[in-house]
Amino acid sequence: MYGNAYIENNGQENKLTANEDPQKLAAFEARIAAGDKIEPHDWMPAEYRKQLIRMIEQHAHSEIIGSLPEGTWITRAPGFRRKLALMAKVQDEVGHAQLLYSAAETLGKSREDMINDLINGKSKYSNVFNYPAVTWADSAVIAWLIDAGAIVNQLANSKGSYGPYVRALDRICAEESFHLKYGHDNVVFLATGTPKQREMVQDALNRWWEPIMHFFGPSDKMSVHTEVLMRWKVKMGTNDEMRQTFLDMYVPKIWDLGLTLPDTELKKNEETGKWEYTEPNWDVFKQVINGNGPCNKERLAVRRMAEEKGRWVRRALLQKDAQYVAPLS
Amino acid sequence: MKIESLDPRINRAALDADSQDGILQEMDHFQTYEVFEQKKRGTHHVHVGSVHAPNSELAMMFAKEQYTRRGACVNLWVVKTSEIFVTQYEDSDIFENTASKLHRDPNSYKVMDRIKAFKERQKNNA
Amino acid sequence: MEFTEKHVMGLKDLLYRMADDLLILGHRNSEWTGLGPILEEDIAFSSMAQDKIGQSLALYEILHEIGESEPDTVAFTRNAEQFHSCHLVELPIGEYDFSLVRHFYFDHQSALRMDMLAETVVEPLQMVARKFRGEVKYHTMHADSWLKTLANGTEEAKIRMQQAINETFPYALGMFELSDYEADLIEAGIFPGEAALQEAWYRVISEKLNAFGYSVPEINNSIPSTGGRKGHHTEHLQPLLDEMTEVFSIDPSADW
Repeated sequence: MYGNAYIENNGQENKLTANEDPQKLAAFEARIAAGDKIEPHDWMPAEYRKQLIRMIEQHAHSEIIGSLPEGTWITRAPGFRRKLALMAKVQDEVGHAQLLYSAAETLGKSREDMINDLINGKSKYSNVFNYPAVTWADSAVIAWLIDAGAIVNQLANSKGSYGPYVRALDRICAEESFHLKYGHDNVVFLATGTPKQREMVQDALNRWWEPIMHFFGPSDKMSVHTEVLMRWKVKMGTNDEMRQTFLDMYVPKIWDLGLTLPDTELKKNEETGKWEYTEPNWDVFKQVINGNGPCNKERLAVRRMAEEKGRWVRRALLQKDAQYVAPLS
Repeated sequence: MKIESLDPRINRAALDADSQDGILQEMDHFQTYEVFEQKKRGTHHVHVGSVHAPNSELAMMFAKEQYTRRGACVNLWVVKTSEIFVTQYEDSDIFENTASKLHRDPNSYKVMDRIKAFKERQKNNA
Repeated sequence: MEFTEKHVMGLKDLLYRMADDLLILGHRNSEWTGLGPILEEDIAFSSMAQDKIGQSLALYEILHEIGESEPDTVAFTRNAEQFHSCHLVELPIGEYDFSLVRHFYFDHQSALRMDMLAETVVEPLQMVARKFRGEVKYHTMHADSWLKTLANGTEEAKIRMQQAINETFPYALGMFELSDYEADLIEAGIFPGEAALQEAWYRVISEKLNAFGYSVPEINNSIPSTGGRKGHHTEHLQPLLDEMTEVFSIDPSADW
């Protein structure tokens, strides 16, 4: 589950590739333009490697941290059907993190380094997971709408240029379709259930709307940097494009259940075909991404605890002659 | 300061919000193994990804759940990544098949024309 | 043979102890999801927790067919004293050494019980036992791999594991608390009995522990932690149930 990568918009195109061999760069760009994939040991510009590591790593962190808000309800899911499905869903998030860390490792950063950067707060994850899942209905809204947003983003990224990331995303997208169905089913049961259930899901929706709008990131400034990353098929769409796709697919489905959204300005402009909405508060977004959201501290403390609790186990298993080589693909 | 969570599991663990624990050392997550899955008897094993594991036995236990918890599988291989010898993509020109290697291509053997001509000649001679 | 009322009571008791054990342990083990010692193990352990809950559901469905309430009602509305689970499964997850040893003791028991029930005269139970054999086999392989690997690990790991093996043992013996219907179950060909199961189990775990290099707890020096099968539980079960049913009990008549 992942929104768009948080890309620093700095630098000029000639700066980004100034030290690269022009012939190799041309061949690299021609390969991507032809729709061919880049594989781990191929020549690639330093900036391509750097941005991909950052992006795949953020994605992996988002999966492992993303397992926590829903994990809040793993011991309390009501009934066998929900209990089994939620367990499977949270498990999948962990599985996705595993796949994505492996993809990032092929670019030369070890899993240990990535996890350390996560728990030290050096690298980011999707902002949305810094919010609490207050009731069971929050877990339903997350499973439906955050996963829906993630799928919009992941389907776009799965057309990207880096082979290992594309392969991981193919597998992930297939599994996410189960999440989406589960989440929708869960929301539908609440929305069509007792007045109490309906109230729970409406409250959750109100709480999560702004984080969901934040999920896709601020409007892109079309910098030179963004253009290069799009040409290299690292970034596959602008944040606004992703947000529009999401609104187009899911707002009608939400309204269809007789649920409301807290943004009174939200409507589709039939002339432009675009959704209009109140701009979410981006100061809040920045506050949260910089560590001051309601759950940032908890999320990282939990990750620290999990690694710490496992330390003696892993130490006991480590063989003296073990040698790390990055996964092949 | 203790963390107060909505998650009862986290509350039971009584976490310290300012803990500096959990930092990993090199090799803390072991080496990697590549995983090959056979979906059905009679087909090839296909590479599906990798797992981090301390030994091949646990690599197999891990691979089974990470790669086969959905869908069919009848057999699984795991092998240490470090033991796989691979070609380099920059050498992929070694795989180019040039016209001079048509002797390997079944489509380059076209005998029907010759047989037809032969039969034609025989008919004319008769 | 025609089942008497005692046979049916015995069968229900057997099904409840199995189903309740699997539900409670599956629930406990699910607490590790997202918090395991390494991502790959996290995934494997979660799968096995899901398998257990799935198996418990299949058994509650058999109970429903023979007159008990629906699985959700049975699982999510009873109090601790109505549960037939053993003490072993209700203990908190503790550290990974305990969770692994519990997994090892429980799943070898489960595998042997399924083997026995694969031959039971009760057809739906026979089908369930045969269906889940493969799942349970993986669980025992997984437990064995871990215990074996840790036995060859650091000194700390060996000490921790041996300690967990010893301390968990009396709870493990509680799995085989005799039923009031022991003789009826054997007579009717429903189940060869808890005593026979315990004997087979002790033989298997002794062989394994010896082979891995651990010492095997003495069965004669241990006082089994019993009572669970009759509804007498440790202080851990009721809070577990309160938590598990928190959402369900907002409105037990609602569709969740």
